[in-house]
Amino acid sequence: MAAARLTRLTYWYPGQERPALDHVDLELGDGLTLVVGPSGGGKSTLLRVLNGLVPHFHGGRIKGSAEVRGMDVVTTPTRRLARDVGFVFQDPELQTVYDTVRREVAFGLENLGVPPAKMAGLVDDALHAAGVAELAVRRIKTLSGGERQRVAIASALVMRPCLLVLDEPTSQLDPEGAALVVDAVGMVVDQGRTVVTSEHRFENLLGRADALVDVAGGRAQTAGRDAYRRPPRSPRASRAGTPGPVAWSVSNAAAGFGGEAVLEGVDLCGRAGEVVLLTGPNGGGKSTLLRLIAGAMAPIAGRVERAPGRVAYLPQNPVALLHRPSVRSEVELTLARSGEPESPAGILEALGLSAVADRYPRDLSCGERQRAAIAAVLAGRPDLVLLDEPTRGMDATARDALIKLVARLRDAGSAVVLATHDSDLEHALADRTVHVGGGRAVERSPRLATA
Amino acid sequence: MDGRSVAAWAAACLFIVLSTTNPAYKLSVLGAVLAVLLVSAGITRMRRLLLGVVAIAGFATLLNFVSAHLGTTVLFSLPAGLPAVGGPYTLEALVFGASGGLTIATAVLAASPFSLLLEPQEVVAALPSALSRTGTAVAASMNLVPAISQSFVQVSEAQRFRGWKARGPRSWAEVVVPVVLTSVESSLQLAESMEARGFASGSRTSAEASPLGASDWLVIGGAALAAASFALARLAGWAADWQPYPTLGMPAVDPRALLSCLFLLVPVVTWRRRA
Repeated sequence: MAAARLTRLTYWYPGQERPALDHVDLELGDGLTLVVGPSGGGKSTLLRVLNGLVPHFHGGRIKGSAEVRGMDVVTTPTRRLARDVGFVFQDPELQTVYDTVRREVAFGLENLGVPPAKMAGLVDDALHAAGVAELAVRRIKTLSGGERQRVAIASALVMRPCLLVLDEPTSQLDPEGAALVVDAVGMVVDQGRTVVTSEHRFENLLGRADALVDVAGGRAQTAGRDAYRRPPRSPRASRAGTPGPVAWSVSNAAAGFGGEAVLEGVDLCGRAGEVVLLTGPNGGGKSTLLRLIAGAMAPIAGRVERAPGRVAYLPQNPVALLHRPSVRSEVELTLARSGEPESPAGILEALGLSAVADRYPRDLSCGERQRAAIAAVLAGRPDLVLLDEPTRGMDATARDALIKLVARLRDAGSAVVLATHDSDLEHALADRTVHVGGGRAVERSPRLATA
Repeated sequence: MDGRSVAAWAAACLFIVLSTTNPAYKLSVLGAVLAVLLVSAGITRMRRLLLGVVAIAGFATLLNFVSAHLGTTVLFSLPAGLPAVGGPYTLEALVFGASGGLTIATAVLAASPFSLLLEPQEVVAALPSALSRTGTAVAASMNLVPAISQSFVQVSEAQRFRGWKARGPRSWAEVVVPVVLTSVESSLQLAESMEARGFASGSRTSAEASPLGASDWLVIGGAALAAASFALARLAGWAADWQPYPTLGMPAVDPRALLSCLFLLVPVVTWRRRA
């Protein structure tokens, strides 16, 4: 029996005229299936059909049929399907119910009414299966993003599902966290379970994949894993001209919170038309340094100076600032505030958002929302551009578009500072790289930066 | 420390302080509450709460002093023609207001261990099983609170860089609306995740049916003794009420009723300080 079978399945989200899934005919077998495709193409919607969140949780209209392990998805509620289909979501912060790992993993068993005496053994098995047995007694808030996602995998496995579905489980994680999760998925596959996952960073899983499903424009088709080609590394963005005068400087500065320094003795500067990249471990102080340069926080000691002009600052979760009725009006707001007569069309096209310019930004897919937020922040010609993990959750196409946009701003004379773990971004854009960690910000040589 | 023992202790404190007008017994309960909180929470964590409680109690005192022109010991008078505030200002009204403020302060402090000493999940664990499902949903939503406050800081900062300035209440919509939208979306995602794990699919069980420890039983026993013995003292007429009007007098104090309040000090020896 196929793990799942979708037959001429068409689905519309509430209030939408265009279907998110369009006449999908698909059969998913046992083993590992990778779901690939561009942002906004329908991957998340397809995965949500497998446990009935679409249509039961999201509403909307559905035509055709969907069966998972012989159960009719359209007539079986998600809470029933949950016994057979485990689901792991993108954001590790938004799928936690309890405050300790053991209790969190046991949540599904509590919902199934499993007697408490049987829970301990099942929880231990699930923790082992996800490779997080050593985290059993930890508090959730002390875990890294990667560890949280592993706990989420254990929480899904504990219900002994026939099918485990993961929706871009690494998209909100740094490379170390992503590697932890990809390893955990690999372990689960090696245990002989049936897994369906959408993932941008799945090169490590490709060797184990039994099938590849390409989802784009609401259509889905199966392909062999040989059909997958890793997107080429983003090329180094060619530069027009050389960097100009100093645009910002940090002199012997200390920065931190509540009087306690996270960074000390920071001496750095950046020029107009130059890209400085901040790299380093999580919690090392990259975001703190970025906020210090932006002027969002005052130094505890030392000085921070900026040349006069507009500062564009992209926080780690830029989607949170979207509030206008359309993507276009978000961009127009920034342009109107900065007094720049530019049309929003340019940046919308550069970021591949022209087709969704008139849509409500919060109705878009995760990747499209991210690009909408970047467009809202970077519209016009800011003098100082500060971006905090701008490629988190982006697919290769969107990242290339962002690289081109940042290169264009740089060539127009903007001073750019990027805090990122993304080696592609470093390769494509960094003029200088600064390692931030251990309380220090140390510049690496340009040779190392581009090596 | 178990949520059920905290609930029993807080209930006994509230019972005594709300069942008498006698400030001597209220002060005894307040003393016990402060001693317990100092030992288990520490003055640093209590500082903001204490400031708030003092402010509320001060306001209650002032309100009665200004609005109740009763009593015989006149401190000063304002012209009777002044609306609301005109008339004699008496010592009795001031003291009665202070007694009311004392009740409010003690009640607030007695309930404060739920937020000062316990995690939301521990409060939920103390709920009876009939409220388990509701409690779990509430506990899950509590996990979103730090993210929401972080989101507020991030959004206001990011909007400021887009040219936003705080110019009166209406301008805050640009910060508040995205934060509210994000909170709603976060709640929906959490609900989606709970649904995907079978929440509300039938009768639930609990992984942690933690039995009460000896120290918890000691606190519960002390609280029960305090409440029962004070109720007995009231019935027997030992714990007399107090009335400051028309002329202020000292409250009557009976050692047997005071002894009841001493049982509220059990947590001083059983509750350990929490970080």
